[in-house]
Amino acid sequence: MIKTFSKGGIHPAPNKYADRKIKLLPLPTTAYLPLSQHIGAPAEPVVERGEHVGRGQLIAVNTTYISAGLHAPISGTVKGIEPVALANGKPGMAIIISATDEEHRADTAAREAYWRAIEPGHTDRQLSESLSADVIRKAILDAGIVGLGGATFPAHVKLSTKESDKPELLIINGCECEPYLMCDDALMSHYPARIVEGVELMMKAAGVGRAVIAVEDNKPGAIAALKSHIDPAHDISIQVVKTKYPQGGEKQLVEAITGRRIPSGKLPLSVGAIVNNVATAFAIWQCIASGQPLIERVVTVTGDIPESERRNYMVAIGTPLSNLPFTPPQRANIIVGGPMMGHSAICLDAPITKGTSGLTILDAAPRRQPMACVRCGACVEACPMGLEPYLLSTYGRLHMWDEARSAGVADCMECGSCSWSCPSSRPLLEYIKIAKQRSRK
Amino acid sequence: MTQSTIIFSPSPHMHTGRTTPMAMYHVLIALLPAVACALYFFGLPALGVLVTSVAACVATEWAITRFMLRRPTTVFDGSALLTGVLLALNLPSNLPLWMVAAGAVMAIGIAKMAFGGLGCNIFNPALVGRVFLLISFPVAMTTWPVPLQPDGITGPTILGLEKLDSLDPGQVEISHLLTGDIGGSMGEVSAIALIIGFIYLLATKVIKWHIPVCVVIGLVFVDLCAGWPVLVDILSGGLLLGAIFMATDYVTSPMTTKGMMVYGLAIGVITAVIRRWGAYPEGMSFAILIMNGFTPLINRYMRPSRFSPRRKEVAA
Repeated sequence: MIKTFSKGGIHPAPNKYADRKIKLLPLPTTAYLPLSQHIGAPAEPVVERGEHVGRGQLIAVNTTYISAGLHAPISGTVKGIEPVALANGKPGMAIIISATDEEHRADTAAREAYWRAIEPGHTDRQLSESLSADVIRKAILDAGIVGLGGATFPAHVKLSTKESDKPELLIINGCECEPYLMCDDALMSHYPARIVEGVELMMKAAGVGRAVIAVEDNKPGAIAALKSHIDPAHDISIQVVKTKYPQGGEKQLVEAITGRRIPSGKLPLSVGAIVNNVATAFAIWQCIASGQPLIERVVTVTGDIPESERRNYMVAIGTPLSNLPFTPPQRANIIVGGPMMGHSAICLDAPITKGTSGLTILDAAPRRQPMACVRCGACVEACPMGLEPYLLSTYGRLHMWDEARSAGVADCMECGSCSWSCPSSRPLLEYIKIAKQRSRK
Repeated sequence: MTQSTIIFSPSPHMHTGRTTPMAMYHVLIALLPAVACALYFFGLPALGVLVTSVAACVATEWAITRFMLRRPTTVFDGSALLTGVLLALNLPSNLPLWMVAAGAVMAIGIAKMAFGGLGCNIFNPALVGRVFLLISFPVAMTTWPVPLQPDGITGPTILGLEKLDSLDPGQVEISHLLTGDIGGSMGEVSAIALIIGFIYLLATKVIKWHIPVCVVIGLVFVDLCAGWPVLVDILSGGLLLGAIFMATDYVTSPMTTKGMMVYGLAIGVITAVIRRWGAYPEGMSFAILIMNGFTPLINRYMRPSRFSPRRKEVAA
C-alpha cells in the first residue's frame, strides 16, 4: 500500500526531466572549502598556507561533537584560509586549494579509475558484520559525512544513539520530493547495491534492527533497482510513498512510515526513528568500503536550460558553481537546491558544498503583484504542519511575535507550500520566516 | 552567449499558477447557465437588470478607487463584476432599474469598499445589496414576473404561497422547479442550471463541497424534524443559488473545512426556521448574512489541528 502523511501537502509540477546518468564533472583547478558547510561548529583548519595537500587528505577537523571535518577534494597547495563569498552572498572562512596541471591530471586519472572500479563493483555483504558499531561511527566521523539531503547535520551524531533512546527503525529518505531535483534518484538508480550496503552499515552503527527505504512512487526505476538488491539477511524493506510535497520532510516521512507523529520541537528519535538520506547512506558505504571521505557528491543541474544540459554530475566539493555547464535564460533565477526550498544564488563564484543537491535554473517570470488576502483557506489546507499561514504571516507583518509563537510558528519548516498555493500571490513564507526568527525566545 | 540578468527571489520559487481573479472568472463561468435561464425565462427586462447591476457595481468600485482612495483601480480582479452578476440574479426581473443601481452602490460602496475593499468585507456585498432593497422596497422586491409571459404579468412564488398556506406542496411540479419555469428571482429559478454551475466549480476546484452540501443537510434536517416536504424546500427559493454561489464566497466564509461545515449547517437550519416561522417566505439571504457575522468567530474556534501526536499515541 502506498503511504503518505496526513496533513496538507501540495502537488507542484515535478519537472524531473534531467538525465539520470551521473557524469563526472572535471575537477576544478582551484577549490574553495568553507569551514562551515554543516550544522554545528565550524571545522578547525589543520593545514597552513603554502602547505601541500593530497586528494582526500584531512584539512580541517571537528573540535566539538556537533561538527564535521573537511577533506581536500583535489591535490594541490593551500593558497590561503580566508573569507570567500558563499552562494547567498555572505562571506565565509574557507580553505583555498590550487592544483598544478600535473596534479590536476594525476587526480583526474585517479578519480576516473576510482569510479570505474565502483561501477561494476564487487559486493561485500559481510562488511557490516565484520566491523563493530564503534569502528563504523569513527569512520563516518573521520570522513566528514553530514546529512546530504540538505540539512547537513553531522551523520555520526545522528547514528550515535544511547541505550535509553531505544531506536527501533532507521528510515532512509529517498523521497526527493523537491521538484526538478534528481540527485537522489540518480544515485538510487545507479548504485542501489551500495546504498543498501550503506544502510546495513548504518543499522549496525546505530544499533537498529530494522530499516525502511522510502521512495516516492514517481521513481519506479529507483524502486526496482533497490528491490533487487535487498539482502534477506537484513531487515531492510523498500516502502513506496505517495508523490506529494513535502513527503521528504522528516516529520512527514516518519508519520507516513510509522503512523506516529513527532511532537513539536522533538527529533525522530522521540518516536524511536532515525532518518537519513539515501545519499548519506551511499557516502557512508564509500568511506568504509572504498576509503574515500566525503569529497564529492551528486549535483543536479536542471531547469529552464537546453535539454542536453539537464543532467546529474558527480562534483568535487569546493567546485565553483560557475564550473557547472549550463546556458542560463535571459532572466535567470539560479537556485541552489530545488525550487521550493532552495535559495537564489547571489554569487556564482561560490563553491558547491556538502549540502548542495542541485542547481535549478528558472526563467524568472516577473513576480505577480500580491493582492488582498481573500481568506480562501488554500494556505491552511496546504500546510503540512496544520498551521494557519495567513495568520502567522500577518503576525510577522505586524511584529506580533508573542502571538506568532503561541500560534506555533516554530513548527514551520519553511517548505513553502503556503506561498505556492496562495492565489493572491502573497509573500506568506517571507513574513513567517521573520516571525519565526523574531519570536524565538 | 547572450548576457543574462540574474534574478533573486525568496523561496519558494514556484507557484501554483492559480490566481484570485482566475477564481472569480471561474465563478462567472459557472453562473452562465443560470444567467442563460434568467434571460430565457424573463426576457429583455432580465438583461436590463443584469447590465445595470454589473455596470453600477463596476462603476462604483472604479469611482471609489479613482476619486476617494486615489489608488490603482481594482475593478479588473473580477470581484465587482461577480458581485454585479450575483446581485442581478438575486432580484426580480421587473425591478425598476434605478433601484437595481441603488442596490449595486450599496453592495460595492458600503458593504465592500467601506470595509476596505476585497478581502476585508465582513458581509457578502451582493446580499447586503439585495437585503437593502428588500427592506427599502418590499413591494417591488416581492413582485415576481411569471416566466415566459409578456411584460406585466406577475404571480407569487412557491414559498410565498406556502407561507400563506394556500399551496399544497404535494401538488408542486418538481420538473418546473428543476428547469426554472416558476416565479422568483432571476437566477434562483432553475435548479439544474445552478447544479451545473456547482459541478463546474467543484471540477475546477474553486470551491469545496462542504458549504453547499451542509446547507442542504441543515435545511433537510429541520424539514424532516418538522415533517415538511424536503424536495420542494431544497429546489425552491434562493437556497441553491445561495448555497452554491453566495455562501461559498471566500472572503465571508470560514477557512477550514470543519468551520465550513458548521457554517453551512447553521445557514441551512436558519433558512428553514425563517421560511417557516419568520415574517418572510424566504430566509436564505438573512441566514447567510447572519453566518457571515459569525465567520470570524468560527475561524477562531474551528482551527486546523496542529501536527502533533494523536491522542491514542500519547496515551500509549
